[in-house]
Amino acid sequence: MSQTLSHEDLLKLVDGCLGQGKVVAGPTLVKPDLCAYAALRASDQLVLKDFIHPANSIKGFFFPRHEPICVYRLNGNDVELEDVDPPKTEQIIIGVRPCDAAALPILDHVFNWDYADKFYNERRENTTVVTLACTDYDDNCFCTSVGLGPAAEKGSDAMLLPLGDGGYEVRCFTDKGKALFEGKTTPSDKTGSASEGPARKIDVKWIEEALEDDYENPAWKTISLRCLGCGACAYNCPTCHCFDIVDEGDAAGGLRVKNWDSCQFGQFTVHASGHNPRANQGQRQRQRIQHKFRIYPEKFNEILCTGCGACTRNCPVALGVLNTLEALRAAAAPDTSEVG
Amino acid sequence: MSETNGFEPKIVAYVCNWCTYLGADLAGTNRLEYPPNVRIIRLPCTGRIDFNLVIKAFEMGADAVLVSGCHPGDCHYTAGNYHARRRWILFRELLDTLGIDMNRIHFAWISAAEGKKFQETITEITEKTRALGPYEAYRQLCEASS
Amino acid sequence: MTSDIQEQLRQTCRRLLEEEKVDVVIGYGQSTADGPAYPVFITAPQDVDRLVWNDRCFNNLTAYLTRDEVKSLGKPAIVVKGCDDRALVVLEQESQINRDEIVVIGVACEGVGEPRAAKCAACDVHMPRTADETLGEVPNGPADLEAAYAELDAFMAQSPEERMAYWRGEFERCVKCYACREVCPMCYCNRCIVDKNRPTVIDTSAHVKGNLAWHVTRAFHQAGRCVGCDECTRVCPAGINLRLLNLSLARAADKHFDYRAGMDKEAAPVIGAYREEDKEDFIL
Repeated sequence: MSQTLSHEDLLKLVDGCLGQGKVVAGPTLVKPDLCAYAALRASDQLVLKDFIHPANSIKGFFFPRHEPICVYRLNGNDVELEDVDPPKTEQIIIGVRPCDAAALPILDHVFNWDYADKFYNERRENTTVVTLACTDYDDNCFCTSVGLGPAAEKGSDAMLLPLGDGGYEVRCFTDKGKALFEGKTTPSDKTGSASEGPARKIDVKWIEEALEDDYENPAWKTISLRCLGCGACAYNCPTCHCFDIVDEGDAAGGLRVKNWDSCQFGQFTVHASGHNPRANQGQRQRQRIQHKFRIYPEKFNEILCTGCGACTRNCPVALGVLNTLEALRAAAAPDTSEVG
Repeated sequence: MSETNGFEPKIVAYVCNWCTYLGADLAGTNRLEYPPNVRIIRLPCTGRIDFNLVIKAFEMGADAVLVSGCHPGDCHYTAGNYHARRRWILFRELLDTLGIDMNRIHFAWISAAEGKKFQETITEITEKTRALGPYEAYRQLCEASS
Repeated sequence: MTSDIQEQLRQTCRRLLEEEKVDVVIGYGQSTADGPAYPVFITAPQDVDRLVWNDRCFNNLTAYLTRDEVKSLGKPAIVVKGCDDRALVVLEQESQINRDEIVVIGVACEGVGEPRAAKCAACDVHMPRTADETLGEVPNGPADLEAAYAELDAFMAQSPEERMAYWRGEFERCVKCYACREVCPMCYCNRCIVDKNRPTVIDTSAHVKGNLAWHVTRAFHQAGRCVGCDECTRVCPAGINLRLLNLSLARAADKHFDYRAGMDKEAAPVIGAYREEDKEDFIL
């Protein structure tokens, strides 16, 4: 016996939540040919088919790209500080791909490691994540290589599995999920389906060992030749979380803010002395892969990647994590003369 | 006189040190009154005026901006104002494309001897801006959160 | 046609590498026939079969000529489309490359993208103009600039309020990833103005105010330099219509100073030079 919901009833649910003043977000056409996760103004903006993966991730709803954390006022020689409280608005994100939802329990570790980030935690607590199982995938997807899949439940409060007739089977995993769909679904003997997902493309155990054994691997220089050092991968990645803290204001005062940052930017590791320990793109790419596939797993027992493929889809030069790992593997093969 | 409920426009004037600033000074010594709404910012030459300064003025709440310097041929540094003129011609097109209110950005050549012109220009700009009202659109843009 | 060019390209590059005329070929590669094309750096003659040429060869490879990691590979040969070749002219005018130290292999291009990229409709550089040799042949008509400007005209017909609302919507999506900057051959500053923080000139924050300041700055720093390769527009993850901004300045340079970036090596640059007779009608 399953619980089902028609697409129309799902949209009514969305309108109901919007009417209650909650933030409701999901995949939407921000441009006629660009599907991305964004806050919705009305339920008819929600798009739940005809896309593999939205251009971005949902991390912006928990860890915004720009967030004031403190207000400061200058009063002669005195500085007055005022804390900023994280918003308590309830958020519901509907139509999240399982690879994006799975990033949340992964990120929970670092945002509660040496410091409990109240901004992140408050949003986590106030947000219900409803995933949409995948019925298809593309060449950039590799969730099955990192222990996930098209119907993975990690990070999900409830999941929609397409029924094929436009409706969904609804599976609730947490109290939040149950509370959202309480009384809204209809029992049925139909079950929704999801794709098997792509075949496994990389061996993460091999990667972790290779990263440990061969830090000075000269292949990094050639693998990263085409990388332009922008932030398109990191900023659309569901698990990347580096940030920069800056003060923005004038002579009277201003805001201390937390902004997204990318380890691929040339200035990312510049010291006050002027020295830059990661002065070239090879070192920076190496760091990204090390962080995702060796350092984070060593620290938190989680790979800092969910195989969503957003990095490759957004990359101006079609690089991304999967291609980098495959290049690393190819460079280790004995009779290869592969270069960048 | 004005129907704008006591709105006092904030005018930012970026002026060059050798001509327009001295022109403003001359207006002062000749006791030519002009509205106190203008905030004069002195730079060595219009050639140094980065377009970012114009954007910054609007960001910080200016209702209108004036950029003024020496007449062509009179630049203290020979060619600074020629370079500036080139930049202004192009920058105006960009501002227009962005939908910035072109009635709020003004350029002038005012020499050190033109105290009267300074008085007239500032008065005219102030009254025009008073009639236009505060530049809400840009402020709203700045306050929009991501 | 394109497969002929591809074969000629591979042969040409094999010869250049075997004869040690160049140390590296900067060209396009592709992992699978239906996958994206991307920049490759071929240093061994036996690898030239990795080079491809098709209508997915979007990247403007000239952006790599000013990058240290690529310069350290040695003397390059570079594959250019007509629009990319215009960037080479600007780079040479600005003393960023030594043209004699680069072998420029032009490819005749009918247009890229499926559907065709917007820039291709107005193209008058199907045959790269300054290449050392050009492979293939595509008829070259005059620039249909009216076709290019039509989009801008339609936009400018809106009221200033509507225009500002449009850009506000566009810039709300910007996350300051700087893909636009990194992919641009003209953005080669070692320290970009947006990275300055003593003092901060442009807010690094990705709010509308900071995004507007950034895009206005970058557009204006490209005034008279942008060749209209539209790579910035293609790579923007948020789909921002940067093409329209760049087009407005390109038209301004054309209208006021009869100047198109990258078309004439000897022409005086638009911002760097001036004429005493420059005309305007708005200075009080």
